[in-house]
Amino acid sequence: MNKFPAALPIAYITLRILIVINWVFGAMILALLIASANEQWIMRAFHLSTAPNPAGLIMGLRAVAVLGLAAIPLNYVVLKRLVAIVETVREGDPFVAVNATRLLTIAWTLLALQVVSLMIGTIGKIVSTPEHRLHLDAGLSVNGWLAVLLTFLLARVFAEGTLMREDLKGTV
Amino acid sequence: MAIAIKLDDLLHDRRMTLTELADRVGMTLANLSILKTGKARAIRFSTLDAICTALSCQPGDILRFESDAEVEPAS
Repeated sequence: MNKFPAALPIAYITLRILIVINWVFGAMILALLIASANEQWIMRAFHLSTAPNPAGLIMGLRAVAVLGLAAIPLNYVVLKRLVAIVETVREGDPFVAVNATRLLTIAWTLLALQVVSLMIGTIGKIVSTPEHRLHLDAGLSVNGWLAVLLTFLLARVFAEGTLMREDLKGTV
Repeated sequence: MAIAIKLDDLLHDRRMTLTELADRVGMTLANLSILKTGKARAIRFSTLDAICTALSCQPGDILRFESDAEVEPAS
């Protein structure tokens, strides 16, 4: 019946690894934010000494770092719930009410992450200058917003599926 | 639930136990108990057919509609 028996263990391990990577990225962003207190170091590291408005650029970088830091717990919420959903699939009963709630939480969190991405992209555009272009992997993402929409739909499908499953359980 | 199950009366009339009925209709005793105690949310036509065959009765002999006014005592 299951064409890909290795898919679940792979998904489980990948999600666990991503959780660790997420925290490592969080620690790196925090370190960068702390280091940004030393403006001279930041200006040397990013070669900003020739920039027309280095103070604005540094403030922009700090704001991006703060937003990046805010995204870490949001990523954790998504990954942790995905792990829990994969565990219910491994146990053989994914159509439970709690998974519909988890998917709804994931959908709202993905929406929040898209908003954070938009804010980072906007800041990048504001502080970017022709001499010092900021190439941030953020901004409006059609795929990202599509993922948000799909997750909301999937949460609804799960909620309906759970109700149908409960009906089936009570059918003799 | 407004639909009541009258399996007890039928079994008594037929001098049959729930275990015997379960064997005849090919259902588990647990599922039949769920039906008898009124805890089932739905019943398949195939189940109804098997029970009616085993007990030589009509679906109406097993199921009865009881309106709320009938169930709750008048104040």
